[in-house]
Amino acid sequence: MARVWIIARHEYLINARRLGFLITTLSVPALGIIGLLVAALVGGQMGDWFTKVFPADGTQTTVHTIGIVDRSGICSPLLPDYNDGFTLFSTEDEGLRALRADQILHLLVIPREYLASGKVHVINKQGGLNAMRLKDSAVIRRFIIDHLLRHSEDTLLKERLANPLEIVPVRLDEETRATRDDGLAFVVNMMTTYFLAILLVFTIFTSSGYLLRGVSEEKTSRIIEIILSSVAPWELLAGKVLGLGALGLTQIAVWLLSAAVFLGGAFSAVGLAPPTFDRVEVFGLALVYYVLGFLVFAVLMGAAGAVGTTMQESQQLAGIFSLVAVVPMILSGMFFANPGLTAFRVLSWFPLTAPVTMMMRLSVGEAPNVDIILSIFLLIVSIPGVIWVGAKVFRMGLLMYGKRPSVGQIIQWLREA
Amino acid sequence: MSDKIVQVHHLVKRYGNFTAVHDLSFEVYRGEVFGLLGPNGAGKTTTIRIIMDILKPDGTGVQGARKATVSIFGHPPRTVRARVGYLPEERGLYRNMMVLSVLEYLAQLKGLGRTTARQNAITWLEKVGLRDWAGRKVSELSRGMQQKLQLAASAVHDPELLILDEPFQGLDPVNVEAIKGLIHDLQRDGKTIVLSAHQMNLVEALCDRILLVNKGRGVLYGKLADIKRQYAPNSIRLRTSAALPDLAGVKQVRALGNGTYTLTLEGISSQGLLKSLVDHGLPIESYEVATAPLDEIFIAAVKGDR
Repeated sequence: MARVWIIARHEYLINARRLGFLITTLSVPALGIIGLLVAALVGGQMGDWFTKVFPADGTQTTVHTIGIVDRSGICSPLLPDYNDGFTLFSTEDEGLRALRADQILHLLVIPREYLASGKVHVINKQGGLNAMRLKDSAVIRRFIIDHLLRHSEDTLLKERLANPLEIVPVRLDEETRATRDDGLAFVVNMMTTYFLAILLVFTIFTSSGYLLRGVSEEKTSRIIEIILSSVAPWELLAGKVLGLGALGLTQIAVWLLSAAVFLGGAFSAVGLAPPTFDRVEVFGLALVYYVLGFLVFAVLMGAAGAVGTTMQESQQLAGIFSLVAVVPMILSGMFFANPGLTAFRVLSWFPLTAPVTMMMRLSVGEAPNVDIILSIFLLIVSIPGVIWVGAKVFRMGLLMYGKRPSVGQIIQWLREA
Repeated sequence: MSDKIVQVHHLVKRYGNFTAVHDLSFEVYRGEVFGLLGPNGAGKTTTIRIIMDILKPDGTGVQGARKATVSIFGHPPRTVRARVGYLPEERGLYRNMMVLSVLEYLAQLKGLGRTTARQNAITWLEKVGLRDWAGRKVSELSRGMQQKLQLAASAVHDPELLILDEPFQGLDPVNVEAIKGLIHDLQRDGKTIVLSAHQMNLVEALCDRILLVNKGRGVLYGKLADIKRQYAPNSIRLRTSAALPDLAGVKQVRALGNGTYTLTLEGISSQGLLKSLVDHGLPIESYEVATAPLDEIFIAAVKGDR
């Protein structure tokens, strides 16, 4: 076992000094520092903008000055509440001149037949996305509703018309109901878990990629035979898996820690309380899926590295496994549209796709306990088989130079095991 | 303590239908340099890899009658890895690592603590003349230097048994002499060495006993001197300043120049011929029982096996 630790330490230190590892690992803290600097520089303005975009009561407002050309007559005259930030123009030409002179950011032209069609023209210098954003904004909706119901005193009705529903997702099988209605917190929870999933996948691939590269280098440089005269193949593989697994965990820890520190700092800089991540159990599950997923991929990558006669050949072989693993991510569009599809349940049971699929499902809260337990159980029971096959191929492939073994040969190795 | 350091009995290794090693048996004794010889593809490297526990032998010997056994120091190879040093034929080093770090790492894999590993690594770098290169990358070393470093890597943990597969391959004469000197030093320090090489002059200079393998089978096995005599029976090498007279019992005379002759005897012993020469009053400068050069024996044995 001592030799396993020596190899693990060697692999950890050698790969931790790789330029690629240093760049990818330190990129998150570096980006965080840049973000903090930006936040410190424009902190006040950012804070104002942020509180207006994500106010505590959930309503949205804007700081933009908006011009109105009202041909329908429903907005004339402007209600006193809208004198600040809205300017009424009697003609479109007048409004356009103001737009060109940057006196207003957007010009809303409300046509005569608005009540029948519901259409409002939004003119701005950028066009496209900007106009759509404005069109969809709660500010304009609120403006129109308030003017349509200018004679009504029912503020609650106006409020409900402006914001008719807020979906509070409550799962049937959950023991406790989510009562939070903080939109930012919901987004943060979902995005954090989803990015954790991406981060996990990335780390699993990079760390097991280092293993593939290391094995391939040892094989092509012919040092492998010297190593195998000192340690058994399983010790070599185990040492590499341990060392590189720890390296991956280091990378994740650096990313998460720096992200937490810098995000907290950024929120403080803009004068906001950081949103609470209230699904801490996801981190525990992420660790479990990382360890199990890494074990599966590391062994397969080790075998691919041993079988290939060159680095390129090994990478081609490993690409097959990587492609299978990212299938859930390729299907992420379909997943977010309908996370409860049976296909995604099946993918979360298959060892190669389970870690990625389960992290994606956890991000949207679409992972019942039975699926979590089943996916972990199937990963655990399949790992000895993967290790047995991988280690056998690893052992036999290491000493084959110049010629890649055929599938038939690999099957024969396994039979002779 | 047994003098038999390596014991190989009825070793068989098949790859599919091809038998690489066929019922091979031999022993290596303490303190000797043992030559494992044979043409390319004879099964030497496979045999060495089995001794090193890198490959597993087939379960049973020929026709399943005798079980193949391999032991080092009387134990299964996997249990005594730390006491064995190995320089493989297919060899390399971590090219991007520092010279000293490579030796330290390999020594630690053989069970040495970090401090001892470092001390031994420095000692060996001094022995092979690479002390000044300790902090440089392996890729900066010349081929000869790398080969010396590889020999150091095989011996850095102070093993009792060293297995050197083609240590002279691709070296210039200067480095050949350097490696040869190191092997002599190792033997002088009491190490047992198994040497596989194609350079017969070096094998003659270094080895005490040999095993010649061809097509996976042992063809010649024993003391080198005995084998050489065996291949040159009834021959005398003689040097004299005078012309050779007609001598009874001499079947053939071959002049080698500078007054040196090889005489093939028939019906007379070497002692009888010496007496006859003295009786003839011939001035004798040297007189020895002739032996055949090893490369001739090698070719004859391999051809004879075909």
